[in-house]
Amino acid sequence: MSEKLYAWLLRLYPAHFREAYGDEALQLFRDRARDEKGFFLRLRLWLDLLFDLTISLPSEYLHVHSPRAVTSGPRRLFGVPVLYVLQDAPPRPGALLSGGVLSAIVLTTCWVSLSYSRTPSRSLFPQTENREGSATSSRMNSDSSESRDTASPNRSAAQDNRIDPSERKRVLNSAIANLKAHYVDHDAAQRIADALSAHEKHGDYSAIADRRAFAAILTQQMWDVTSDRHLSLDYFQDPLPQQPISQTPQALAVYRENMKQQNCTFEKVQLLQRNIGYLKLDSFPDPEVCHVPAMAAMTYVNHADALIFDLRDNRGGEPEMVQFLGAYLFDHPEYWYNPRENTTERSWTRSPVPGSNLADVPVFVLTSRATFSGAEQFCYDLKMLKRATLVGETTGGTSHSGIFRRIDDHFGMGIPEVKAINPYSSSDWAGLGVEPDVKVSAASALDVALKLARTKLPKK
Amino acid sequence: MPKQKLSPLPSAAFQILLALVGEDLHGYGIMRQVAEQTGGRVRLGPGTLYSSIRTLLEEGLIEELDSREDARPGEERRRYYRLTSAGCRLARSEAQRLAEVLRVARAKKILRGRYV
Repeated sequence: MSEKLYAWLLRLYPAHFREAYGDEALQLFRDRARDEKGFFLRLRLWLDLLFDLTISLPSEYLHVHSPRAVTSGPRRLFGVPVLYVLQDAPPRPGALLSGGVLSAIVLTTCWVSLSYSRTPSRSLFPQTENREGSATSSRMNSDSSESRDTASPNRSAAQDNRIDPSERKRVLNSAIANLKAHYVDHDAAQRIADALSAHEKHGDYSAIADRRAFAAILTQQMWDVTSDRHLSLDYFQDPLPQQPISQTPQALAVYRENMKQQNCTFEKVQLLQRNIGYLKLDSFPDPEVCHVPAMAAMTYVNHADALIFDLRDNRGGEPEMVQFLGAYLFDHPEYWYNPRENTTERSWTRSPVPGSNLADVPVFVLTSRATFSGAEQFCYDLKMLKRATLVGETTGGTSHSGIFRRIDDHFGMGIPEVKAINPYSSSDWAGLGVEPDVKVSAASALDVALKLARTKLPKK
Repeated sequence: MPKQKLSPLPSAAFQILLALVGEDLHGYGIMRQVAEQTGGRVRLGPGTLYSSIRTLLEEGLIEELDSREDARPGEERRRYYRLTSAGCRLARSEAQRLAEVLRVARAKKILRGRYV
């Protein structure tokens, strides 16, 4: 929590500082937080940080113009000192006061934003999935609606979530009608409908007064009849739009701009010691927008002797990008399982990718409990094809492969409308997650993967 | 011209230069070393530390190392810094300047106690 808060505070710094030293500043905070435990030390740490923020923030914004003035202008003998932040004298009281007021305003704004909104990058991906029209997030959206609940203390969640018998009846009937009309397996749809109706007759729902509980129980009851974990009934506290917001041109423009700002979520592309390629990717963005950065990233690590994909913070995205990156790792087309689509000629990877040297290097994928959806597809397919060693935690277990059907303002369903061929004997990750090959905590996954990678490198 | 831009040398910058004498350190290492050499009086926060580091880098007084050969696994991402010969010269001249100030202060007998 405190690290998140400091990461938020870091956003107050200008972009040039964050790009150059954002990671280091956060690392320094982590180091101090690790070493300085206990109430007083922690209090001192935060006082230090707030003082540092007050002093260095104004200087950082001033610094933007300073180097230009120095480099482009003539030599200044009696110029204003460039290094405000390093000045020997203590800051003027006026500067301290204005810095303090500014910090207070910014901190308050931060708290308010944290309480009432989600970050743009997080909200992006479920929308992206809607945009494709092929699916929507089931678990991810219900998670985020939960997080919104907890973040809104003023709102009486219990009040909002109450469900009355007539609403229960209406939602249940809609769910059954949707199942019968759209679920790919008609026999199973009928069996589920019968089971739900039977539960209703027995009065199993009469005691349920909470909307979220109602959605969870219905989902479980559907799963009792069929093993299909792609089927779900979801509750959303905030009213659902009539049509997915992300289908509008404005939303696409925002997405494009966001991807540009975030380098298409390629967080880190590095060559580590012993020529081990390291690629930290926090989503699988739309290839139409992001194919150039994606190709650049893969080209950068093209001559690595081993490759690590860090998907610990990856919440999923577009299946096309999942397959696009997967294609680099094979020297012939491989069947790439995608639970959202029927099998077509596009179900095979476009391998070999011209110029790729990565078809036979050892590959490691780092996972965490927060690895979701498209990222899980990447893990699952590479694991089934025995092409990568998964290191970390069991993934989140969200597949978002059902097409989203809106029932009303607060309820929706994920209903699979295609039967994708899964050539592997084990079922996919929906509801279960992908088990790693090497089970370690997400925090130590990189260290473990590096050690494993070194053992697989040619001896020097 | 480092001397002009960093004249007088700010104390945070001087402390960082001193911290790096004889040892390459990463950001947190520098912060701890500075705290140690000032008896805990100066704890550089991330904002002050990294803006000072940037200026020292721009002035060629310190340099960033590509990567450390003896880095432990997981440490590859940390950036290490090393004092350059220009940085060493500047730190020395600053120390001489302070010594001169100290000499005057002693002569004027404004200091008490046996340690100075």
